[in-house]
Amino acid sequence: MNYQELAGKLLHVAERLQKHGNKLDGDVIGKSAVKLATDIEQFDATLDGFLASRKSGELLLETLLRSPAAKKHLSLDLLRKALREACSKRLKAEELVAAKREFVETVHEQDRAEAASKFLKHAFAEAAYVAPAGKEKGQLQQEFYALGRLSEDEYATTIAKRTFGELRRLAATNGIRFTDKTTKPHLIKMIRRYARRLATNLPSVAA
Amino acid sequence: MSAKVLAFINFKGGVGKTACAVNIAATMAKLHDKKVLIVDLDPQSNSSLWLMRPDVWREHVAKGRRSTFEIFDDAIQGKDRFDFDESIVKGVTTWTGFVELPQLHLLPASVELLRIEDRIHELRPPALYRILDRALRDRLDRYDYVFFDCPPNLYTTTKNAIFLSDSCVVPYVPDYLSLSGFQVLAEYIEELRGKYTDSAGERRHPNVGAVVVSHYRQTGNVFRLAINELEIMLAQLHDRHVLESGAGLLQPFIRHCVRVAESTSEHLPVILYAPGCIGAQDYSDLTQNFVTHFQNRK
Repeated sequence: MNYQELAGKLLHVAERLQKHGNKLDGDVIGKSAVKLATDIEQFDATLDGFLASRKSGELLLETLLRSPAAKKHLSLDLLRKALREACSKRLKAEELVAAKREFVETVHEQDRAEAASKFLKHAFAEAAYVAPAGKEKGQLQQEFYALGRLSEDEYATTIAKRTFGELRRLAATNGIRFTDKTTKPHLIKMIRRYARRLATNLPSVAA
Repeated sequence: MSAKVLAFINFKGGVGKTACAVNIAATMAKLHDKKVLIVDLDPQSNSSLWLMRPDVWREHVAKGRRSTFEIFDDAIQGKDRFDFDESIVKGVTTWTGFVELPQLHLLPASVELLRIEDRIHELRPPALYRILDRALRDRLDRYDYVFFDCPPNLYTTTKNAIFLSDSCVVPYVPDYLSLSGFQVLAEYIEELRGKYTDSAGERRHPNVGAVVVSHYRQTGNVFRLAINELEIMLAQLHDRHVLESGAGLLQPFIRHCVRVAESTSEHLPVILYAPGCIGAQDYSDLTQNFVTHFQNRK
């Protein structure tokens, strides 16, 4: 059921009540009417709260604070900045759960939900953003591809000119994992293996 | 409102077309205040069954009515039974029995779509490619985004989706089989552009606008190397102008998450079912970058 359908149902009942109200009588329908009136009052209060929080921006703030982005990016430091930005206040709490509570209470007291939501939305978008790779990455990827197309002898000659640091940068950029203990000869072997694989897997794209 | 119309396509199965379409759309509706329509074109009806309970779906699309099948069936039979407003499902019904995400709409598929391909060739291009366009174009401006969840092939329903789309989104699993298929797919879409132009007499511009990666794992070299191979292929395809300018690999990559798989059994997008899980977090960040990527394009 959706809320439009509920509205239709309520209208239907209201029309029938209005039409037959002066004929209704007895305990059974009376008790049911009292129960319905109580439920309607409660629902009306909930609806009021929802609409008010939507208007003031508190609903959006609550949605943001409970969002997957908050789970991933919301930190004590970000809450501090958000409170300073939205309410010009310093956050006292030193622990995330308490800080969230203090943040929500302060924002509510100062009626600054809209500003707080705006700040958080922007902060989450910034945290999600991944900067495009620079030119250097593209060059190192092309170099890696070119190395894979060399013969064994050509590869040995070309790679011998590279410093260990250059080789590490080339490997890291091209997704090869290594540790501080990885030696230069081992890294050269790994680069050769994966560069050849790449050249085999992408033979025709550049054609 | 001018909708961005995007086809989620890949002729390889199991790459996350439906998961991406459903979860990006739901996240847009929930967190970005976007009105989104998902059009399910797959006879397997996966996005329909992700967002609707099976009994409700079966009743809704009984005998292929009120589904994307009806659009194609009407075209073949020369009838006009498809009613858009009657066919769309608004929002997602949660276990409370009430609808959430009222901004997310679905035009469901039905299994009868399986039979379309055998009969559809009674029609000839350009009419063959314009079936969805004729049935839906006037309705799309009610939305911010329209996603076509395409079947894992490049047959007529997919071609119809590409024809109507502004751009194609390719969901991708980082392995060699996906890599080999991707080049074929990108080149095929580029080839279709020419055909559409010739047959329809007007310039359409569907092309690969973004690649999204799912089933990603951070362990070992395997996936990092596979992503590196994809990035190099994308750069080379860019050099040949096979991809849209600015088309790229959107991040973050969607990590494997059991809660996303589980959310299909609950008939809820992951943002409603388990908003704290890593799958929901990845889709949330990806959707943010997805919106930025496509809103900056014409």
